[in-house]
Amino acid sequence: MPCRVLRAMIRFENVTKVYDQKARPALDSVNLEIDRGEFAFLVGASGSGKSTFLRLVLKEDRATSGAVYVAGQNVAKISSWRVPRLRRGIGVVFQDFRLLPQKNVFANVAFAMQVIGKSRSVIRDTVPEVLKTVGLEGKEHRMPHELSGGEQQRVAIARAVVNRPGILLADEPTGNLDPTTSMGIMGVLDKINQNGTTVVMATHDDDIVNEMRKRVVELKNGVVIRDEAKALYTSMIPVVGQSRRLKDASGRDDTENRLPGEGEAQR
Amino acid sequence: MRLAFILSEIGSGLRRNLSMVISVILVTFVSLTFVGAAGMLQMQINQMKGYWYDKVQVAIFLCSEGSTAAGCAGGPVTPEQQESLNALLESPAVAQYINDFQFESKEEAYKHFKDQFSNSPIVDSVTPDQLPASFRINMKDPEKYQIISETFSSQPGVETVIDQRQLLERLFSVMNGASLVAVGIAGVMIVCAILLIATTIRLSAFSRRRETGIMRLVGASKTVIQLPFILEGVIAAVIGAALASATLWAVAHFFLGEYMSQQYPDTAFISSGQTLILVPALIILGGSLAGISSLLTLRRYLRV
Repeated sequence: MPCRVLRAMIRFENVTKVYDQKARPALDSVNLEIDRGEFAFLVGASGSGKSTFLRLVLKEDRATSGAVYVAGQNVAKISSWRVPRLRRGIGVVFQDFRLLPQKNVFANVAFAMQVIGKSRSVIRDTVPEVLKTVGLEGKEHRMPHELSGGEQQRVAIARAVVNRPGILLADEPTGNLDPTTSMGIMGVLDKINQNGTTVVMATHDDDIVNEMRKRVVELKNGVVIRDEAKALYTSMIPVVGQSRRLKDASGRDDTENRLPGEGEAQR
Repeated sequence: MRLAFILSEIGSGLRRNLSMVISVILVTFVSLTFVGAAGMLQMQINQMKGYWYDKVQVAIFLCSEGSTAAGCAGGPVTPEQQESLNALLESPAVAQYINDFQFESKEEAYKHFKDQFSNSPIVDSVTPDQLPASFRINMKDPEKYQIISETFSSQPGVETVIDQRQLLERLFSVMNGASLVAVGIAGVMIVCAILLIATTIRLSAFSRRRETGIMRLVGASKTVIQLPFILEGVIAAVIGAALASATLWAVAHFFLGEYMSQQYPDTAFISSGQTLILVPALIILGGSLAGISSLLTLRRYLRV
């Protein structure tokens, strides 16, 4: 058991997250393990719980019940003044890039190192190296508005990985990009994954998922309905986990979303 | 590196929020000036107490020509009456309470009067005859005034016994009232300053929410995220406190030290040097008010 906890970079044990007592849970008894160095897609419709999953990993929210382990540590047990240290081990990339518009490319990436107190010389050495990894050599002095969307996302990725986190969370990183640019971004993420970083990417982009052929975790209404290695965006085989879903369901769920037979089976 | 980073964050915060920062400076300046003014009034009262209480005397005014008091029914004081009062003052029963006493004749009283009101036209209309002669008594313990008063008021030839301290008390109560008013205004202004600092910090946190959001995500510590905001408020408040201190010093130096002390040469005014002890108090007060209100604001408006 301790062995498995250590091997797993992210581990959800029966995690439920309820935002609103009256509504259905955002995550409902999720059990999931993502190993060190793995690349996993998190797919599912809006509101299926992808973002909640990422927020729980970052300890932006507390799980209502169950335990979330990140790098072997139960995040519920991390005291608030140690949360920054947890977050230093996790890089995050968003759909809207979130660059600082008044800082150039170099300064945007360096910012992530400055605020955690890295020395000037380390920053001078590390930032160009990371910019090279994401394919932005020679664009250090451009301002964000002078870059294309794809380039801006590369800056954001560089900023997320410049402190060498063990985990990279990407929340629909290609949501604002065209398919060709998206594939470029995926190349960057794959490269980062090859260097040993665990990557979890929430996405709607079926082309990318189908192209990459990585592990796919599908969420629906807060429940994991599919967890498949080297998978496609939509499953070819009948949905796995559905039977477990029925076993676990507590009955407070919305019945109208289920297949006609499902509700019957529960009663 | 981190220090340099925090300093540059503070600089950019102050620049971006310049108008709000100036208003924080002005409000803390005005409020702390009132606080300091109350402090200066209290210092002035203490100064005058120390100066006057040594000098003030109990005065026994003797009957003169126009006296209407009951004890003066027999007309102006006679040399015999004056002699017996002198003897009474020297008798052991009274002498134990007094340091020394002296007699002030009508002529001396007129001279003092002329000195005191040298600028006033009233001097010309007063003659030595209109001013009463008096015994001036320095008390060992000014609180024992009642004993002198009881002993002498009923003596023949005594018009009235006056404790000059009571006249001063009236002045001091006016000054105390003024300093209470200053404290009241200061209180209202300080509330203004606190609310304004809170609003400023809130705006500043809002205008930099992108930066702080990223800082949070990459794992910057709470100190690195919050300190620039708190210091922003503290710096503005400390500048306000410094301005208030400079104003109070200038008032003490130019108004009290040069103008007032020429107008009232026999009054002890506080020196500009004495106001300097208010400076650290004002700066600490301003800085801590700003620090606490920023901290409370950030706890609500800046998630870390």
